[in-house]
Amino acid sequence: MATLTVRLPRMLSGFTDGRMELEIEGDTLAGALAALTARYPALGVHLFDERGTLRGHVLCFHNDENTRWLPTLERPVKSGDVITIMQAVTGG
Amino acid sequence: MANLLIVGTDKGAFLLRSDSRRAQWTVEGPLFKGWRVTAATRDAQGRTFLGVNSTVYGPAIQVSDNLKSWRQVSGPAYPKDGRRKLTQIWKIFQANGVHYCGVAEAGLFRSEDRGESWQPVPGLNEHETAAAWTPGAGGLCAHAILHDRTNPQRMWCGISAVGVFRTDDGGRTWHPKNKGVTVVLEDKIYKDVGYCVHGLAQDPDNPSLIWRQDHRGMYRTRDGGDTWEKIERGLPSGFGFPIALHAKSRTLFALPLESDEFRMPPEGKLRVYRSTNGGDAWQPLIKGLPQGNSYDVVLRHALTVDTFDPAGVYFGTTAGALYASRDGGESWHTLPLVAPRIVCLAIAVE
Repeated sequence: MATLTVRLPRMLSGFTDGRMELEIEGDTLAGALAALTARYPALGVHLFDERGTLRGHVLCFHNDENTRWLPTLERPVKSGDVITIMQAVTGG
Repeated sequence: MANLLIVGTDKGAFLLRSDSRRAQWTVEGPLFKGWRVTAATRDAQGRTFLGVNSTVYGPAIQVSDNLKSWRQVSGPAYPKDGRRKLTQIWKIFQANGVHYCGVAEAGLFRSEDRGESWQPVPGLNEHETAAAWTPGAGGLCAHAILHDRTNPQRMWCGISAVGVFRTDDGGRTWHPKNKGVTVVLEDKIYKDVGYCVHGLAQDPDNPSLIWRQDHRGMYRTRDGGDTWEKIERGLPSGFGFPIALHAKSRTLFALPLESDEFRMPPEGKLRVYRSTNGGDAWQPLIKGLPQGNSYDVVLRHALTVDTFDPAGVYFGTTAGALYASRDGGESWHTLPLVAPRIVCLAIAVE
């Protein structure tokens, strides 16, 4: 099981005991995200919509790669990988 | 005794506490900084509910029993395979030991465990007219909930731009109650919907007496919504959003706007209108309010009234100004907060 770093924006830190950076374990990207929302269920509501897909303005990066364009989240991860959650701010 | 005023804004909530004279106020906040606070309610047991929202991260309900620690409850949520998305918490309301939550996209949820979990109300959410429900400028939202203290089987729910619905069987079936109100968006098939209720106020001792600030005018029903009559004598416009009743004095307060086209205080004058005869006639209240160059708006949940006598009346504007009266509206002053756009207010005694 790999240990990954998850980085979160401040607006979501209220759902992770104030932490903007934490560690999570998983074998795949999907598994790591599932472990994250299992540990912090309230966070899951704000990352994923009713259909279980990432909300339209939530960006999720696996290292430097935007996960939105991946064919599947069932990709292997390794220790030291970083998942970064950001908000896609549109407009001005 | 003193007042706690909860101020929900586009960028968080603020808690304002008064002294016993309602003269001095302290400010705490913002809570949920960066989150839009769209609904605020204190239930009879002292639990505070906030509907929070983000265009990025979606809506949720936060609860607190001490206003210090908050936690997010489970739901409400539409089914994963359903056609609707939950986009905003609009109203949290307690009736007969049950909590209700009105949301956008329009629907009603209920909780029998004090808001810990929420179940949909299919009799309303899956109403036969639902395919014809159309959003107004504020979205397709269930924003007003009333109940009959003398008859636990009877409730009302106001949906924009659909109309008022009533249940007489505890929420199993719901029926549009808009006779006498001018339609906004007439449907080809369902003629009972397409009405745009903006705000409701109810006489607590006579629950069938309800006032309705509607898109198409100010209305009153004496028969629980079976028929509505227009009551606009003295008002500069029938259009507006909030309406509130001070229960002890039976005094109504409203803030009409110049037409649905312009949606600004008439003549740039910020005026509260008061009726002391059940809506038969309205008089403007201006002392302490800007009577020129004032073009901010009071949203439907941004007017509230306390339980003291004389009435404390409070409203917040889209420009973040917060006004209060502690003499039933005779005179007004600002409270010590210049907030982000004010979305909702709730008042409680501490």
